Amino acid sequence: MVKSTSKDAQDLFHSLRSAYSATPTNLKIIDLYVVFAVFTALIQVVYMALVGSFPFNSFLSGVLSCVGTAVLAVCLRIQVNKENKEFKDLAPERAFADFVLCNLVLHLVIINFLG
Amino acid sequence: MMNISRSLALISLFILPLLSFSFSVDNPTDRRVLVLLDDLSLKSSHSIFFNNLKSRGFDLDFKLAEDSKLALQRYGQYLYDGLIIFAPSTERLGGSLDSKSIADFVDSGRDLILSADTSASDLIRGIATECGVDFDEDSSAMVIDHSSFSVSDVDGDHTLVAADDLVKSDVILGKTKIEAPVLFRGVAHSLNPNNNLVLKVLSASPSAYSANPSSKLSSPPQLTGSAISLVSVMQARNNARVVISGSLQLFSDRLFRSGVQKAGSPNKYEKSGNQQFVTELSKWVFHERGHLKAGSLVHHRVGETDEPAIYRIKDDLEFSVEIFEWSGKSWEPYVADDVQVQFYMMSPYVLKTLSTDKKGLFHTSFKVPDVYGVFQFKVEYEKLGYTTLSLSKQIPVRPYRHNEYERFIPTAYPYYGACFTTMAGFFVFSFVYLYHK
Repeated sequence: MVKSTSKDAQDLFHSLRSAYSATPTNLKIIDLYVVFAVFTALIQVVYMALVGSFPFNSFLSGVLSCVGTAVLAVCLRIQVNKENKEFKDLAPERAFADFVLCNLVLHLVIINFLG
Repeated sequence: MMNISRSLALISLFILPLLSFSFSVDNPTDRRVLVLLDDLSLKSSHSIFFNNLKSRGFDLDFKLAEDSKLALQRYGQYLYDGLIIFAPSTERLGGSLDSKSIADFVDSGRDLILSADTSASDLIRGIATECGVDFDEDSSAMVIDHSSFSVSDVDGDHTLVAADDLVKSDVILGKTKIEAPVLFRGVAHSLNPNNNLVLKVLSASPSAYSANPSSKLSSPPQLTGSAISLVSVMQARNNARVVISGSLQLFSDRLFRSGVQKAGSPNKYEKSGNQQFVTELSKWVFHERGHLKAGSLVHHRVGETDEPAIYRIKDDLEFSVEIFEWSGKSWEPYVADDVQVQFYMMSPYVLKTLSTDKKGLFHTSFKVPDVYGVFQFKVEYEKLGYTTLSLSKQIPVRPYRHNEYERFIPTAYPYYGACFTTMAGFFVFSFVYLYHK
């Protein structure tokens, strides 16, 4: 029973990997970027749990910059995905330009709030 | 040359009286006292009391209470600083005086000694009522005490009371304890419970009551026990002081000199406590004792000397005030450990007890609370027997300016790092995304 369960998990993992390897490289780069942002946010949350929430505005801006980055990256991924029929009329260059603009606005706000 | 010296002499002629006047402005002790008597023989029968006042520098002006030339004021200026009314039976005062003008006299901050006696007139009762004291309505009633009367009371009706229930206040009755009982023969009074400025100085014993000694008691007496006050004092809000006594004999030479032995007590005293009691009480009522004076409230930030126009929240500040007590001759430093300052906006945010350097300077330091608005420094000092001090000074408190907040806090460095890392990550990502193969 135990053996079959772990074998099932292995099978599942393998099928996921093989399916993911078919993903285009540009989407993989975006995924890596999202993982980086979420990881940075987690580190800050753990740090805040350790030292307390004293400069709370700094904590918020640090975490929100990571969360905002991740959200914007996911939006970009939805728009540049070829299989997504909803945005087939939108040029990937246009999507990337939107992404850059939003990031500029986000970081302007973050720097102001950092204290 | 001649002209200059003449004008100098003229100027000094004008300035000198001004200078000498300015010295006496700071002197709260009364100097000119009007004494109203209903009989000039009181001058000799109460001579010890009056001579004692004279020897302390008072200028006594004896007048008959019905003298038609009586006046407290002339051209709107008061002629006297104090008033002694030893005229219990007078129905109408002479001249322009009535109970209203006496109330005005007290309202102007001047002092009054009022003595009633048995069969006190309505006028005297009216003045006492103004001061929160109600004499027994029965005009023939006296204080009778069958357990603490004086054994020298020869009449046998026990109306010569030996009272020793004195108020415990060094400032009103002096530091020396009054050992011998005080002899009292006169009318009882009670205090108006609505008046919180008046207090009993000499109370009757629990066994005393107020009734007519020569008639049989048909109904229970209205005033009984220690609710009866024999001598009361009142200090008005403007620090005017009033003594009200139910007995004129209390001040007389005869009771001053008489020995005293309380019934049932083995202690026999050569002299009654009257002289000491009356002398000390007159020192208090004429502001020879217990008169406080405060300088201005001084405050500044710690490490600075100038008073700021505004404080910021969480500033550290130092506060001080000078308080002096009049000793009868000079201003002495006041020493006490119960003077408090409030930092006040609608309610006190800070309440601190001031510490004294024994030279009259009271000081403390505290942190401005984390609340902004218009605050006041307040010193409200009300102590039994002392004049009331009520001082306040307004000061606004502002919040932090935007550039006064703390920056570059070491604890926040990881958050700063995260922000700049995500920015750098954005650049790297853009580069890789645009140029990957």
